[in-house]
Amino acid sequence: MTKPKIASDWMAGCSGCHMSLLDIDERLLEIAELADIRATPITDLKEPDESGVDVGILEGGINNSSNEEVAHRMRSRCKILVAFGDCAVFGGVPALRNMCGTQEALKRAYIEAESNDESGMIPSDPELAVMSNVRAVHEVVPVELHVPGCPPDPDVIYYVLKELAEGRMPEIKDENLHWH
Amino acid sequence: MINLTINGKSIEVTEGTTVLNAARQNDIKIPTLCDHPNLTPYGGCRLCVVEVKGMRVPIAACTLPAANGMVIETETPALKKSRNVILSLLFSERNHFCPFCQVSGGDCELQNAAYDEHMDHWPMQPQWTNFPVDTSHPNFILDNNRCILCRRCIRACAEMSGNFTLSVEERGAATIVVADTNVPLGQSSCVSCGSCVQVCPTGALIDRQSAYLGHDKHLTVTRSVCRGCSLGCGIEIHTRDNHIVKITGDYEAPNAGTLCKTGRFLPVEQTRTRITTPLKRVDGSLVATTWEDALKLLAQNLTPLKGQLAAVASTRLPVESLYAFKSLFADGLNSAVVTSTEEGRPTALQAEYAIKNGEAIEGKLDTLRTSDCVLIIGADLKSTHETAGFYVKRNQPKGTRLIVIDPNENGMDDLANLNLKPQAGSNEAVFNALEAAIIKEGLARTDAKSSKTTLEAALKACGLEAEDVIDAAHMLAEAVAPVIVYGRGVSGNSDAATLDAMVRVAKLIGASDSERKGLISLKGGANSLAAAQLGLVDQLKVQNCKAAYVALGDDFASKRLVETLEKVPYLAVQASYESALTERADLVLPVDIWAEEAGHTLNTEGRLQFAEAALTAPEGVRQNLMVLVDIAHELGVTLNENWREALTQRTSVVELEM
Repeated sequence: MTKPKIASDWMAGCSGCHMSLLDIDERLLEIAELADIRATPITDLKEPDESGVDVGILEGGINNSSNEEVAHRMRSRCKILVAFGDCAVFGGVPALRNMCGTQEALKRAYIEAESNDESGMIPSDPELAVMSNVRAVHEVVPVELHVPGCPPDPDVIYYVLKELAEGRMPEIKDENLHWH
Repeated sequence: MINLTINGKSIEVTEGTTVLNAARQNDIKIPTLCDHPNLTPYGGCRLCVVEVKGMRVPIAACTLPAANGMVIETETPALKKSRNVILSLLFSERNHFCPFCQVSGGDCELQNAAYDEHMDHWPMQPQWTNFPVDTSHPNFILDNNRCILCRRCIRACAEMSGNFTLSVEERGAATIVVADTNVPLGQSSCVSCGSCVQVCPTGALIDRQSAYLGHDKHLTVTRSVCRGCSLGCGIEIHTRDNHIVKITGDYEAPNAGTLCKTGRFLPVEQTRTRITTPLKRVDGSLVATTWEDALKLLAQNLTPLKGQLAAVASTRLPVESLYAFKSLFADGLNSAVVTSTEEGRPTALQAEYAIKNGEAIEGKLDTLRTSDCVLIIGADLKSTHETAGFYVKRNQPKGTRLIVIDPNENGMDDLANLNLKPQAGSNEAVFNALEAAIIKEGLARTDAKSSKTTLEAALKACGLEAEDVIDAAHMLAEAVAPVIVYGRGVSGNSDAATLDAMVRVAKLIGASDSERKGLISLKGGANSLAAAQLGLVDQLKVQNCKAAYVALGDDFASKRLVETLEKVPYLAVQASYESALTERADLVLPVDIWAEEAGHTLNTEGRLQFAEAALTAPEGVRQNLMVLVDIAHELGVTLNENWREALTQRTSVVELEM
């Protein structure tokens, strides 16, 4: 039996979920034994194999056209898509800007913030991704597994990765279910 | 009894039990958010829907009375799906993002309910609408974004404190919780009892003092008794690292979870400076010394002045300490004056009356819960003993009528059906007028035929209108269970004749007979009644005293006390905090505060209650009782320890539950 291929990527998040992934410490070696870890933001290979992977993991919500592209690419190249962490599952902290709207948030950050001088302006380069409301991954593409947590606990991440690496679907409940 | 089956289990409950409570009593968990065991069922959240055999649709268990032969299922796939949808809808309505919420991680009933249903995401995302946040209140914050409209807070405001401040505005998804007619909470009719915060299932009502200081799982809970006043409400002290994080009402105690601001918030926001070492006066200023030295100094100063000593103890001290105090200063040292900080003002009159008549004349607070007409005289239940006021207020919508008699402005004036403002100091005439009116109108429930004075004479003496007094007479005498609540305004400013007149009226209206005891006095501090039972009721007269000893404990030093003791040549104080009294003292002995000492209190209705210590006292500080024992030892006095016997030696104004 060939090892299942696992890839990950991040979008509108803080990378904290991937840090929590590194927090599984030496158990990473065990996962690397069981699975073929492919593209991740913290390895050399940046995009999931065009030939496809078994498990795709996405951290962060979707807040612009670039994130959308990342989400669709991962979805089209994986069999099981995992929404990883509160931002991917719910929208998380970035989604709070939905409460005031994108333009208000940009104005606050680029013009009104106390650290700005008078030359502050909202970036308008046409090359930039088009911003949208922050959405959970499941609002954009279908998701097979939700692993909430801000960030998910390393023990939960280890459990999830081990189950997936050994070809089982993890059950996120009881002590493995935390939203924050 | 009712027999029904839940999840295949046959159970028996008393008639009138709801299906939800029947399940609870039999350890079957039915999830709910709007229901609270201490509040009237509301049926708002629909999370508790169950399937009842023979019924067309699932039904809310919280409002469904159990009936004979009911067959109920609580865990079918259809019900689980429906709970999931209900929770999804709740999460989609407002901002329920958990990471930055105070209650997330164990204390949120909404989050816990979602965990129980294994919800790993929200099938419906939030609708991103902003709702108002009210931060105007000094004690708590109302965040409508976290609200699930369960209306527990609104019911608690009405059913626990009878204040009716909270309600809702708008309708449907736009509904918000508001104070009064949507004014900021800090400027509303809120009395800061905090019951709403205690019952809120989410982070919509957050207590400023305890927010972010730890979840329930981090806190140690000690069941205790409030020392704020003589009502002795049951409380739970939540501590962490030897600090009080919050105080909540004890649902199991007679107050059933209800507290007032004095019980819930004030003890936590302590700002006075603690004294942690004995202090002696050297060359005009206080300097730190050792316990040994301090006790020796005290003995040296007190020994030659035994007969010229005044001793005062706070009624906040536990019974054990009060009795040791009495045993030391009255029995042991034969001091000139041995009394409490209240000097018997709220208790001496009725205590004397009870001894003279050889029987308890007062009843229990419980009579307030079922009374349909309450007369309050000489007391402002808004400024002191507030929880007793809640017991009255919350019955008003059920038809309980309220008569307030007070020459001054009274916090309950606006709520009274009848508001009488007699001349100051005319309480006896007020009761004489009521007596005359009851007899004249033929309303007496006894066979009394004549009144002490004529109605006209009594009216003239108290300055009330005949019409008002006759109205009051009708309201009281026609009530099924009338209650008279009296406070210091009667006991502290009147004489035995007034109490006589009050008891005569109580008998005439059926408030005080062999069946009912509907006469309640509020007395003063936590151990007001115990102080009276121990005879600590004398006036503090210090003209002939050469020394004074004050066992103040953690009490405030009243201006009156400080002024009275100003001219006493030698003053020793045992106190927890710095005050005008300790500043003036020649010797200060540092003692523990209420939450640091285990001990008994005897509340206004004679209920003896024990409280464990919730905190450890700082180093260098001794227990109130231990200090008195140490002093006795130093002075060669043997203390009597049988405080229980001492409490029951004289007839109490109210039956004691020891």
